[in-house]
Amino acid sequence: MKNKTSFLPSEGEARPSRRPDNSAFKQQKLPAWKPQLTIAAVLSSFFLIGVFCLFVGVCLIMSANSVREIQIDYSDKCSDCSKLRENSSHWNKECHCSVNFMLEEDILGDVFMYYGLQNFYQNHRRYVISRSDAQLLGRNVNIQKSYCAPFTTYRNGTPMAPCGAIANSMFNDTIDLFYNLKSSVIQVPLLKTGNSWWTDKNVKFRNPKSYNLSSAFAGTARPPYWQKPVYLLDEDDERNNGYVNDDFIIWMRVSAFATFRNLYRRVRRIRQFADGLPAGNYTFRISYNFPVTKFKGRKHVILSTVVWSGGSNPFLGIAYVVSGTAATLTGFVITVIHLKLRKKKTYFQK
Amino acid sequence: RSMNLFLIVYLCILISKALINTVLKYVWQSEPFRDEPWYNQKTEPERKRNLFLRALTDFLAFMVLFNYIIPVSMYVTVEMQKFLGSYFLTWDEEMFDEDTGEGPLVNTSDLNEELGQIEYVFTDKTGTLTENNMEFVECCIEGHVYVPHVICNGQILHDCTGIDMIDSSPGGSGKEREELFFRALCLCHTVQVKDDDSVDGLKKNQLSRRSCIYISSSPDEVALVEGIQRLGYTYLRLKDNFMEILNRENNIEKFELLEVLSFDSVRRRMSVIVKSSTGDIFLFCKGADSSIFPRVKEGKIDQIRSRVERNAVEGLRTLCVAYKKLTAEEYSNAQKLLQNAKLALQDREKKLAEVYEKIERDFILLGATAVEDRLQEKAADTIEALQKAGIKVWVLTGDKMETAAATCYACKLFRRNTQILELTTKKIEEQSLHDVLFDLSKTVLRHNGSLTRDTFSGLSTDMQDYGLIIDGAALSLIMKPRQDGSSGNYRELFLEICRNCSAVLCCRMAPLQKAQIVKLIKLSKEHPITLAIGDGANDVSMILEAHVGIGIIGKEGRQAARNSDYAIPKFKHLKKMLLVHGHFYYVRISELVQYFFYKNVCFIFPQFLYQFFCGFSQQTLYDTAYLTLYNISFTSLPILLYGLMEQHVSADTLKREPSLYRDVAKNALLRWRAFIYWTFLGVFDAVVFFFGAYFLFDNTIVTSNGQMFGNWTFGTLVFTVLVFTVTLKLALDTHYWTWINHFMIWGSLVFYIIFSLLWGGIIWPFLNYQRMYYVFMQMLSSGPAWLGIILLITVSLLPDVLKKVLCRQLWPTATERIQNASRHCREHISEFTPLACLKSPRYRSSDCSNSPARRSNSHSKKMMFTHWRGVNYSVLPSVFGYSNKHCRSSAGHHYSGTGLETSV
Repeated sequence: MKNKTSFLPSEGEARPSRRPDNSAFKQQKLPAWKPQLTIAAVLSSFFLIGVFCLFVGVCLIMSANSVREIQIDYSDKCSDCSKLRENSSHWNKECHCSVNFMLEEDILGDVFMYYGLQNFYQNHRRYVISRSDAQLLGRNVNIQKSYCAPFTTYRNGTPMAPCGAIANSMFNDTIDLFYNLKSSVIQVPLLKTGNSWWTDKNVKFRNPKSYNLSSAFAGTARPPYWQKPVYLLDEDDERNNGYVNDDFIIWMRVSAFATFRNLYRRVRRIRQFADGLPAGNYTFRISYNFPVTKFKGRKHVILSTVVWSGGSNPFLGIAYVVSGTAATLTGFVITVIHLKLRKKKTYFQK
Repeated sequence: RSMNLFLIVYLCILISKALINTVLKYVWQSEPFRDEPWYNQKTEPERKRNLFLRALTDFLAFMVLFNYIIPVSMYVTVEMQKFLGSYFLTWDEEMFDEDTGEGPLVNTSDLNEELGQIEYVFTDKTGTLTENNMEFVECCIEGHVYVPHVICNGQILHDCTGIDMIDSSPGGSGKEREELFFRALCLCHTVQVKDDDSVDGLKKNQLSRRSCIYISSSPDEVALVEGIQRLGYTYLRLKDNFMEILNRENNIEKFELLEVLSFDSVRRRMSVIVKSSTGDIFLFCKGADSSIFPRVKEGKIDQIRSRVERNAVEGLRTLCVAYKKLTAEEYSNAQKLLQNAKLALQDREKKLAEVYEKIERDFILLGATAVEDRLQEKAADTIEALQKAGIKVWVLTGDKMETAAATCYACKLFRRNTQILELTTKKIEEQSLHDVLFDLSKTVLRHNGSLTRDTFSGLSTDMQDYGLIIDGAALSLIMKPRQDGSSGNYRELFLEICRNCSAVLCCRMAPLQKAQIVKLIKLSKEHPITLAIGDGANDVSMILEAHVGIGIIGKEGRQAARNSDYAIPKFKHLKKMLLVHGHFYYVRISELVQYFFYKNVCFIFPQFLYQFFCGFSQQTLYDTAYLTLYNISFTSLPILLYGLMEQHVSADTLKREPSLYRDVAKNALLRWRAFIYWTFLGVFDAVVFFFGAYFLFDNTIVTSNGQMFGNWTFGTLVFTVLVFTVTLKLALDTHYWTWINHFMIWGSLVFYIIFSLLWGGIIWPFLNYQRMYYVFMQMLSSGPAWLGIILLITVSLLPDVLKKVLCRQLWPTATERIQNASRHCREHISEFTPLACLKSPRYRSSDCSNSPARRSNSHSKKMMFTHWRGVNYSVLPSVFGYSNKHCRSSAGHHYSGTGLETSV
């Protein structure tokens, strides 16, 4: 635009015109949509939002109610075990306990088994940063530069693999589920893989390259609280061993709050369990390794089904219903105000 | 200004937040199993650090964590907005002047928003209100009036004896005087002659056959010389100290120029001493009547004085001309004195003045001249608009009272029903200053007292209003601190009077006095924003003194324009500058500032809340990239664009309805109430984000495949809700959606999504953490997360929408009513009401001034109306929680509007 004006003949040449361009932008006259908060638009949007929220809320509540969930606190059920674990010198003494429970009716569909921890501050800053993602990618890195301290190396300089407080404090209880069917005890088949994010399992966590796993971790040592080195996490399955062990990967995703649960196993749907868990008596057999009493924590084991709206959390549904109701009510109030106001106006215009 | 105050508040909030968290951290940690559980041990050096040092580092860490609440980027954005925004002023075609080829200049972009806050306008008269395009109208020689025009204006001449007929001039002595008068005018000036070739943007002398132009620092002189030329005497040039005049008989007369006693604004006169070819030495003096008459010894003073006063009332600028004949020794005396004074090393100015005083006396009065200075086009319109906008207009001029008052009437500063209060030297001579002031204040205040009930309706200007005229001498008396110690008393009284006058005219002002007045108002207790506008060098002091100084790019050089903050070609452009640009700038910047605080509260408050859940460990809620980019790229461009483009009502409407300016007056949009509302909105939204997400995540499964989410997913969810809410909030506030707005607002949301996908989509090789890897995608793959995001965004936006709707319905401001009306007009043009509604302010004013009875009637209706409202809706704020208090102030305004409309 500027060039155009200066190319104008005679006048423009003699004295460069300082006349501003008549472009819509410069004159602030761009064509524009000027939305208004009209009463019609506002009311319709309030009612629409209200109806939509109510609808979604009811759906959510209904689906959340269809979720079956069993949560068992086992931190005190085996009090001798918890006592034993309070003293860290007994770390290699095994301690087993079992918890019985009864299912009144069948749990149909996929059943997920979670372990839950309470009062375990995974989101503490010192804890959150205490890991080395580069090490977990299988790279040969100097973990001294990472934030793993104080779980970086032993006194003799041997690096820990994996390093850091998160890895060191990995949940190491083993939980098995047994189905008591007419005095015979059937172990419920559980899947221990496929529980973590696919991307974590296949991209974010990689074992160091070597001809076998134990040589890949040669020159490193297990974290101090672990009972076995990282390459023995799952001796049966090569693809679930080392850093790519599902339990390990899941533990490494730190939770947002101090009370949390992590996916532990899924029920494998074969034989009697093809439709889920049939009603009856069950037993959790737990090898109790993870001490929680020292930080006043609790341990849970949870069996739950999952629907499209997630687990048995009624919050979302209730929130939708509440805000839907609020929006609708507000819509009515605005209507009333509007009508009254208009009546007054017409009254005065007489 | 209020920005800095808000900033201090936020700083306090920041520090208190950090303090609270630090204290709580140590309370929380007092139990050892929390301070250092087995799973989360400290390193050796951490353990050894002493308590005080640890507390200090913790405090600082919290400060770092929360520092985003102080919107540092706001300063950058505000500066950019101001700088870029000022281009719209210079680009404005309507403010471009064809005649001079000048557009507005912006010398500083700091004051854009102040243009929307002006409460006092101080304007110069000559060259600002008037064109400063002087035209010689008439001269009066010993009571005989001469008019140079070919076509005579009958009104001026109806009682004149000699009508432009030089031949009919009476008597020999009269003839002689007349010749002397013309010569005096020809000689007594400092005009330079320039050939026509070098046209330099200066005024061409159209009538001159010789095609030469006169240049002078004062346009009056040029006008006079040109006028005299039309009466037959042409000033040719100054050559070798000889002034050449072409007289009626086409003979060239030469006068030797001996001395020039140059003009200054204190003496208000100038003189020349010339020697004619016959050897006579004359002293010609011309100057303001007040400075000439006391020095006159003979001449027809009374006749001339009456003529001068008459002319002054007509709004003409008058000058008196006098002479005296000097003998040789008188001249040499004078010369000696002048020499001494000029050579004096100390107090030269003072000595010169003394000498001038000695020389310039015992004049013989010759006559007077009258020069017309026409009003600038649309000056009256502009002043009227400014007054309607609630701006008080003061005219400060050096002219004499009658001239100035006439101009003020002409440009509607004073209207026919304005009651004029005078505070002049003459009046003070009659009574004491004290009495005059008290009388005036009594009149004004009594009137005001009866008005108090009406003032809130914003109609007070339509009532009986007062105009004050004060002159320089009286002003200096008022300003002079009194001996008895109780100084400032008069000042207060004077200010009180001024505050209640809609228009003030200060005449006979020295340049410094102009500045003094501006300062007086500027420092009065309300601290109003002042604007000074002027064109000449004598206005520079006042332009510099006022908050906003505006220079007219005019004839008297560019000093004013150069020293000003803004320069405009014509006075009429002030209207658009204040009412449209100023209003826009103010609305934009206030939204920008408030929005910045809001979005940073929304941003950081969840972070604060999260500390309560992570053991006060300074764990961040959001990823570092989000923390850094939030203010830089996710949310900065839409608001910057809003700050440049927003037009809540169209520019034409703003121009048509000056009263809309009152809606933003006195910093209405940046008051504490608005600030607190925004802050609470921010806190509310933050609470919704955080606890909404918290309950969503609370120890349950959020996915449909049973997998769990971690802390980064939680943070990302909150952040996503945050970015969307904050951007959509701005979208709700935008009234003017150009394609650029669409592009920026939707673009920045899209950018956020693309960035998040990219940021989480790759294992970044240069980072030593990969915590965001696939977090965003995993979140999007979960249905409940989507539903949660949608719900939280809706819930955090609804209260604001609700508040807006209710305010609009119950207590609409004038702006909003205009918005509604314009919408109606678009929808059904033929309908009667919207048009009437648009024009109603005009009806209103006329109605009010004409029939007070009817007005009072409508007032009672209005009272009823408010009363009714109070009963019915006082419960609303408490019901909805989001208080509508801040709309309440505008309530009165609205009702008066409706009430009056009905009475029309």
